[in-house]
Amino acid sequence: MSKETFEEALAQLEEVVAKLEDSSVGLEEALKLFERGVKLARRCRTQLDSVERRVEQLLAESPEGEPGATVPFEEEQE
Amino acid sequence: MSARIWSVAELIGEVNAALAGGFGEVWVRGELSGVKVAASGHRYFQVKDAQANLSCAMWARSADRLRFKLTDGLAVLLRGRLEVYPQRGALQLIVEEAVPEGVGELQLAFEQLKAKLASDGLFAPERKRPLPALPQRLGLVTSSSGAAVRDVLKVLSRFQRLQVLLYPVRVQGRGAEGEIARAVRWFGASRRVDIVLVVRGGGSLEDLWAFNEEMVARAIAACPVPVISGVGHETDTTIADFVADLRAATPTQAAEIVVAQLEEQDRRVSEAQESIAAAIERRLERSRLRLAGLEGARGLARLPLRLRELDERLRRLAALPPLLRAVVVARHRRLDGAAARLFHWPVRFGAPRRRELVTARIAIAGERLRALLRRRSVQLTGLDRALGALSPVAVLERGYSITTREGTDAALRDAASVAAGERLLTRLARGTVRSLVVGREPAGQGTLFDEGGPGTGNREPGKNPTGSRGARRRHE
Repeated sequence: MSKETFEEALAQLEEVVAKLEDSSVGLEEALKLFERGVKLARRCRTQLDSVERRVEQLLAESPEGEPGATVPFEEEQE
Repeated sequence: MSARIWSVAELIGEVNAALAGGFGEVWVRGELSGVKVAASGHRYFQVKDAQANLSCAMWARSADRLRFKLTDGLAVLLRGRLEVYPQRGALQLIVEEAVPEGVGELQLAFEQLKAKLASDGLFAPERKRPLPALPQRLGLVTSSSGAAVRDVLKVLSRFQRLQVLLYPVRVQGRGAEGEIARAVRWFGASRRVDIVLVVRGGGSLEDLWAFNEEMVARAIAACPVPVISGVGHETDTTIADFVADLRAATPTQAAEIVVAQLEEQDRRVSEAQESIAAAIERRLERSRLRLAGLEGARGLARLPLRLRELDERLRRLAALPPLLRAVVVARHRRLDGAAARLFHWPVRFGAPRRRELVTARIAIAGERLRALLRRRSVQLTGLDRALGALSPVAVLERGYSITTREGTDAALRDAASVAAGERLLTRLARGTVRSLVVGREPAGQGTLFDEGGPGTGNREPGKNPTGSRGARRRHE
């Protein structure tokens, strides 16, 4: 999923919330909005959580090429 | 005494020897004019004051060491040696070193580069790219051993869902600018990061100089990935700061911009989830109350249509719990994951309270929804039974019928309301009879029923269509 999708999904999600909070929405519509909202929220959440914390360091460049290989970066523990 | 006759070359050679012996290295103060850069890289210019003018040459190897640019009107101190240029017989100063007067050399170089890049449009606000929506993968350009990398990682540890890729570079000394520029270019080309942080801790203007080099500025400007700069202390400003998409005052602040953005997005999603759960709870509660209201005698009159509506809604509700359950399960799984990470990052990880609250709320909403569903099913069964007794179909099945005037829905209850010759429709359990009125008997004369038993059965279905339509209007 691309980043644009996150932004779009979040904007749509917030739209759904606004509609859902409008008390004139009928039950049918409210349930549809709810389902849609839950799906959108899950998409956003998945995107937000798609990355696991990792701190890495690129290895020094070899004379003939660009770096690309990485090793974990040793964080100092205070 | 006979005068010595010189050849021109000899004479100039002797003069030059005398100049070297008599003056050696000289310092001269003046203002530059007529500055020219030859294709060879040598600089030719005049240095002058109000009364006099001296030609100067600065060879490329000396000129290339200058950090600032020689420009007309610049007040300078020049160090060099005097000589006569034999081919033209003109006195000139061979400049070894030039130092700007009044302002520091670095300051001058800074101002000159700033003016140049500004005129090239590198600082234009419209060039600045916004922070990405989700800057989860960070490219970090700094020294792997400085205070900056520690400061940045400390702040970044506040948000667990991000990755840092450090491209270690020297951040000061000759050649540092080349490493920094190369690192920025690499991140730009690698597409492995969402944002690049170019940072360095505090230091003297000399220490921070690499961030004032044109090649660093050009690399940042050309980087397809947005760049945040954070160089030195709050008071330091470098060329890199001007050209970066976002300027942070310090390395710490650069990291805080990223974390704040991620936390904000996280908060927006959590809030939306919370709002959805709360809104649907409220909405269902309202529907439940309305359903409860239908149990009254007046509500019973509207049952058939309402019942169909409710049935439809309940079928939709039945589809919901799995959806909710999936959300709740997903959130639990994440919290479990968080707990596992807690083990690996004992100091840094603090479970965000808000998420737990949202999880709890959604779980509660799901539970309530299921409870509501159970209650509704029970109510519905009860109502269905009550309706069964009243159902017009059941009544007709027992041999009764409903008679209406042709073209109307209102059931006839009083013989006095029909006249001979009118057409009537009589609905039976199966099919309809069309008839013509030939006569009528007033009430109480030899009718089959003295009390209104079947009348009760007739009245309700007769009212039904209007009643239902009215109810629907009110509820939509």
